[in-house]
Amino acid sequence: MSDLTRRGFLGVAGGAALATGLAACAGTGSEGGSSGSAKAGGSSNTIDFWSNHPGKSKEAEQKIIADFEKANPGLKVKLTDAGKDYEEVAQKFNAALAGGSLPDVVVASDVTWFNFALNNRFADVGALFEQNGLSTSDYVDGLYADYLYENKHYAIPYARSTVVFYYNKDVFKKAGLPDRSPESWDEFTQWAPKLQSAIGGGKSALILDDGANYLDWTFQAIAWSYGGGYSKEWTPTFTDAGTLKAGQVLQDWAKKKYVKTSADSASDFSAGLGAVLLESTGNLGGFKDVKFDLGVGFVPAPNGVKCCPTGGAGVAIPSGISAERQKNAAKFVEFLTNAKNTATFTQATGYMPVRKSALQEPSEAAYLKQNPNFKVAVDQLPKTRPQDYARVFVPGGGADIGQALDKIVAGSDVKSTFSDLGGTITAAYNSQVKPKLKS
Amino acid sequence: MTDNAITGFDPNEKPAGAHQAEAASFGGVGMKIAGYAGMVAIFLLVALPLFWIVVTSFKEKPDIYTQPAQWWPANPTTEGYKSATTEIDFWAFFRNSVIITVLLSIAKIVLGVISAYALSLLRFPGRNLVFLVVIAALMVPNQITVISNYALVSQLGWRNTYQGIIIPLAGVAFGTFLMRNQFLSVPGEIIEAARLDGAGPLKLLWRVVLPMSWPTLIAFSIITVVNEWNEYLWPFLMSDDSRVGTLPIGLTQLQNNDGITNWGPVMAATVLAMLPVLIVFLALQRHMIKGLTAGAVKG
Repeated sequence: MSDLTRRGFLGVAGGAALATGLAACAGTGSEGGSSGSAKAGGSSNTIDFWSNHPGKSKEAEQKIIADFEKANPGLKVKLTDAGKDYEEVAQKFNAALAGGSLPDVVVASDVTWFNFALNNRFADVGALFEQNGLSTSDYVDGLYADYLYENKHYAIPYARSTVVFYYNKDVFKKAGLPDRSPESWDEFTQWAPKLQSAIGGGKSALILDDGANYLDWTFQAIAWSYGGGYSKEWTPTFTDAGTLKAGQVLQDWAKKKYVKTSADSASDFSAGLGAVLLESTGNLGGFKDVKFDLGVGFVPAPNGVKCCPTGGAGVAIPSGISAERQKNAAKFVEFLTNAKNTATFTQATGYMPVRKSALQEPSEAAYLKQNPNFKVAVDQLPKTRPQDYARVFVPGGGADIGQALDKIVAGSDVKSTFSDLGGTITAAYNSQVKPKLKS
Repeated sequence: MTDNAITGFDPNEKPAGAHQAEAASFGGVGMKIAGYAGMVAIFLLVALPLFWIVVTSFKEKPDIYTQPAQWWPANPTTEGYKSATTEIDFWAFFRNSVIITVLLSIAKIVLGVISAYALSLLRFPGRNLVFLVVIAALMVPNQITVISNYALVSQLGWRNTYQGIIIPLAGVAFGTFLMRNQFLSVPGEIIEAARLDGAGPLKLLWRVVLPMSWPTLIAFSIITVVNEWNEYLWPFLMSDDSRVGTLPIGLTQLQNNDGITNWGPVMAATVLAMLPVLIVFLALQRHMIKGLTAGAVKG
């Protein structure tokens, strides 16, 4: 390419412009883009359900679908493998928004749903349920309220989890500590040296996710317990005394080597590398055959403050499909999350029952009796609290917070890291969210 | 032979003087040791993860998560392979991967060779401009074109079909670029001689230019096959289920996306997914070396 002349360069530029132009043509296509509501393709009696099968639930989903088809002979449900995690489902849905062939029902996680709701890509499920004579009053209030924005509900809770305090009872016994989770993280700090010497060198008292793997989710519990948090509504509160204190506590643990952050924290804990793990209830199923005595407790919540963040995913219905399809979709969503199927689903995966009445199902009651650890997680449900806007509603917020927490664990100054983070979050909010807010 | 060439040390050489010989042999041995140490280090770097995958695929679940790590399965089991092939629709994913990889590789190689041939050895107006456009296409990452491709393919009704996956991926800029430069490096005398002997364009390609370009072509083929076999983003967006989904997509379904993954079956499936590419590589690699050593011009 040594003979690349000025004319040659213009050729390149022209070629690139041509390619871009072609791409733009393809993007709009013949159907007038994604806002063309009624004609967005798809047959009205086949319900296309996009799921990532949270918690390896594909079989459970297929069983529920078979039951639904039996109960509704005119309708078919197609289960689509929409990705390996919630982010991939969102990516695939994003592509479909540009190109048509939208699904009827799609799984949306705590961090992915809001952006679609804000851009009017999801329908108001609450209204859809009401129009079709379905009720939403039986859903666990907190879990249903998680999808509330501007008086509309944009999803129905489906595979919902919360944070729980897992501990290794054998290590606790060896350290001479009571068989329970601590009252507060300060109490845990007092316990940490004992746990550390009981578990031995090369292992750690506490295992947390790292910043790329939801430390931003679990750390909320610690920040809240010190009266801090990521934000109040849209205003970042990283530099509030409580949040700074929580960051400092985390850094002190890291300095004394009490805490280890890990990309695969649950596996590390189950290998016996840590005494305590702060993780999703979704891990309970995987901990069935650990080699030690497993304890499950509430997340430390001093002074009755609600400190346990909820997480996981709901199911949403796109706004860009015909009213007929939305009606069928609502019917399917209701069936998917009815009391009986909630019981089936929670037992297959370890997710929280999203219906109040599911606990009265005989199979669920028996299951709770047999699995006291799962019951702890269910009992903690009333103590949960919706997540801070800065993590779940600001685009990229979770990832930014995770990175900042990684830096704090690595030893960088808590105050300056958090105030930088506040700036990043505010900038993202101002550029990507604020212009679209209705008020 | 190569070692001698690098170090300049020949064991059969008669020493000119004792002192000199000692110095030379010392430097030579030192270099040799360093060379071998480097080779061992690189070998371990490449082989250890592979070894770990294979070993893990034969482990029972509790043996995977232990400390200290088990370098050899305490209770070897083929359970992992059993669940890898039964838990997901493994053979359907495998079949799709084979079909898509074979068709795509053929399309890419043919397109790459004939377009490179046209751009290097045929003379027509605007040749350089076409080449520059192709190079420009090479500079656009495919993550950017994904959305518009999706829209186009979806409106053609090609979602969840083989052609929907294959055709948008078949465009090839890298191959054109690579093969064009290879063809340009073929000595002009040979091409002129062939033309004088009355070889037409196709005969020139088949009988003269291509045989002299085997190593590059085979390297390009291997890269293409491996890339297509591992391609994830586009097949994932296009496919809905195991009817056309490829192996990398199937593998993700063995992982638990919220909670603990049982790595045994995942590793077993990974081993099974690696085998075909390994076989292709071993089969082609011999020809690559053969091509390298067959010279056309003496000098």
